[in-house]
Amino acid sequence: MGFFEEVTLLTKFTFRFFRELFKPRYEFNEFVRQSYLIGYKSFPLVAITGLILGLVMTIQSRPTLAEFGAVSWLPAMVSVSIVRELGPTIFALIFAGKVGSGIGAELASMKVTEQIDAMEVSGMNPYKYIVVTRVLATTLMLPLLVILGDAISLYGAYIAVNLKGSVSFHLFFLQVFKSLDFSDVFPAFIKTFFFGFAIGLISCFKGYNSTNGTEGVGVAANTSVVLGSLSVFIIDMIAVQITSMLY
Amino acid sequence: MEKKTGNKTRLGIFVTVSVVLFIAGIYFIGQRQQMFSNTYQISGIFKDIGGLQIGNNVRFAGINVGIVENIEQVTDSTVRVDMEIDEHTRKFMKKNVKAIIGSDGLMGNKIISIIPGPPGKQEISNNDIIETIQPVNIDEIMANVKTTSNNLASITGDLSAVMKSIHEGKGTIGKLLMDSTMAQNVGQAMVNIKQGAGGFKQNMDAAGHSFLLKGFLKKKEKKDEKKEEKK
Repeated sequence: MGFFEEVTLLTKFTFRFFRELFKPRYEFNEFVRQSYLIGYKSFPLVAITGLILGLVMTIQSRPTLAEFGAVSWLPAMVSVSIVRELGPTIFALIFAGKVGSGIGAELASMKVTEQIDAMEVSGMNPYKYIVVTRVLATTLMLPLLVILGDAISLYGAYIAVNLKGSVSFHLFFLQVFKSLDFSDVFPAFIKTFFFGFAIGLISCFKGYNSTNGTEGVGVAANTSVVLGSLSVFIIDMIAVQITSMLY
Repeated sequence: MEKKTGNKTRLGIFVTVSVVLFIAGIYFIGQRQQMFSNTYQISGIFKDIGGLQIGNNVRFAGINVGIVENIEQVTDSTVRVDMEIDEHTRKFMKKNVKAIIGSDGLMGNKIISIIPGPPGKQEISNNDIIETIQPVNIDEIMANVKTTSNNLASITGDLSAVMKSIHEGKGTIGKLLMDSTMAQNVGQAMVNIKQGAGGFKQNMDAAGHSFLLKGFLKKKEKKDEKKEEKK
């Protein structure tokens, strides 16, 4: 499939998503199930990544700030870095790796084993049942994972600050919230919806349109992760440009 | 069925905790910006705000009591800064307070410090315009430093020329310090003065023995003795 052909198909796929999204009947139970699998089941991975991110960021930043005698700026610097940029991007990449590959492989194997065709024959709308629920779940679950991940990262930063110094929990979070602004939180939060949407949509698209039998399953899983991660960076770049224009 | 209910509960907890954390974060950020507390507004007119921005802190006696709400250019040389201040501080904030723009540490953000005036005045009211102290402008200091350094360069240039002339033995001081004949002349002059003074003493002694001055000198001696007796 050529690049432009794929772009056309992806655009049609996206339009179909919005068409099917608002059309009854709503697959609420499947959406809840997918939210559990996509959101809740990804939480341990995001939590561990977040804790390590906070620890590493703080430990690595300390020597540079110590050179200027500005170690007291650690909570402010780490919190702004994590909340504005690192948290959303890194958790989205982790999410693309775990969920994107899962959705891509699952849908591709459903396609290969003709389960999607069987659904169509039985009168179900496979797109609505499989794609809409998953894309909606990724879109809504990633922001929640990012919020929890950011909170755990900041806790990791608090632990790291106390490894070589002594800052109380209250003072640490006072400094964190002192340095954060709505212009840091809201753009970062809003862009995670787009990250989640892109990851879900691309993974579903790749799985739903997979070809070449079982070989295609691996390809779909692989390209879902690669394109999902790439889309995260592209959306991030656009979001940063828009944010810097607005603020 | 039980497993499905358990999953739904876990998902519910996951969503609730995330949403609560988000709301708590928003609340704490909002609280810092005085969004959830009773406030009143005061303003100050400055000539130059030196990079102060909306959202910067306002401090009273070193405590963060509010934020900069709005900055508006009134004329070509005056800027009005509106401040949102926490209601709890009103009883300490009198009408004669003064605002000055400073900075939070060496690398920190700009802040407005409110300095209390002499006691006895009324409490401040909403929308009051308070007196301001113009901050020291770094550019102005640099301009003064530049003028001083130019003057210093001119002075050191002149001093160098003077020192060069002295070193070459030009002028009175140059000759005095560098010319050896001058030193010899001065030495000779000193010898001559010494000799002259010796001759003058001899002349005065001789004059004391002469009959013209003898009477006068004796009278003077007697007067001095009487004065000493009186004492």
